[in-house]
Amino acid sequence: MARVLLHLILLFAPLSALSFGGGQTIIADVQYQTVAVYHWLSGQQFADLFAISRVSPGPTTLISSLIGWHLEGLVGALVATLAMYIPSSTVFVLVMQFWHKSQASRWRRAVERGLAPVAVGLIFAGAVAVLESMHATAIAWVTTAIAACVIYFTKLNPYVLMSAVALIYVGIFVVFPASL
Amino acid sequence: MSALEELAAPAAQTAHKVPLLAIFTAFVRISVMSFGGSTAAWSYRAVVEERGWLDNDAFVAGMTVSQIMPGANPVNVSLYVGQRLRGWVGALAGALGMIVPALIVVLVLAGIYTYLARYPLTHFLLLGIAAAGVGATFSMGAKVAMRVERKLIRYVFAVAAFVTVGVLHWPTVPVVLVLVPLSILSVLGE
Repeated sequence: MARVLLHLILLFAPLSALSFGGGQTIIADVQYQTVAVYHWLSGQQFADLFAISRVSPGPTTLISSLIGWHLEGLVGALVATLAMYIPSSTVFVLVMQFWHKSQASRWRRAVERGLAPVAVGLIFAGAVAVLESMHATAIAWVTTAIAACVIYFTKLNPYVLMSAVALIYVGIFVVFPASL
Repeated sequence: MSALEELAAPAAQTAHKVPLLAIFTAFVRISVMSFGGSTAAWSYRAVVEERGWLDNDAFVAGMTVSQIMPGANPVNVSLYVGQRLRGWVGALAGALGMIVPALIVVLVLAGIYTYLARYPLTHFLLLGIAAAGVGATFSMGAKVAMRVERKLIRYVFAVAAFVTVGVLHWPTVPVVLVLVPLSILSVLGE
């Protein structure tokens, strides 16, 4: 058991520290290591865990927790989670210390103003990427458009919105099962 | 006091007032509902619009930096907000709030997924919830876009980032590392 836990740390900790650009950049490496190198999972098992981490809220890199759970239960899940988030978080907080200290400097205002337009492009790119990855159907696009308007124009509680979407989807499923 | 210091003063005053528990619970709420990659969007709503902990520019800048630094973007956003408000303990509170509930949900889901996956309704329902999450991201994109200065050069950088990453699927990190310095230079040159 200790050996597997150590291997989990040795696998996830370096990937964490090197995951520039977010969790999705290391998924291919995680797949290769867990399936082809360590033989912890079959290709299908990895695909199943990846699907679960995709539909769950929160970061996709929680797949590391699922892999840990698969191997060593709760202890494995906790060790894998810590190995995945401690290195990158430590790097982030240490680097950002300088950023937070430069509060209100002319330099930082310029950085913030320069970042803003690039951020807008990246936000929309991210939204489109998620729609593409889930093979969005027409009804998904309509849902996205309506949700975007509701969230933009109202202060509706997100939980109410999500529950409403779920109820409407169940309704559609029950009424038009053949059309799906 | 210069205009810039005045801008920063409210944030500095609230810096010592926001309780760690408030940071933690804010991100717990965000974590549980962040389907379809909508973490940043719900964080924007909670942190900028509802609580006023950070202004638009500070949040958006931190969010962009979060995307290129190592680590999952949702976790980095929670670290950024927490650290800005309360230093490294704030960062810890934010990250725990972001990770722990999502961890519980993903483990529970893993336990029941093989059973639920047999039913077409499961996939249909998850698609709908994820699509609504993407709606949150579009809404946030529109709000942030409205705050960008009305200058052609800003629009050029926004469109360049969208086309390269969203349409051409170039990797985010090199694109940002090229576009952001150029964009900042264009600001400094004005």
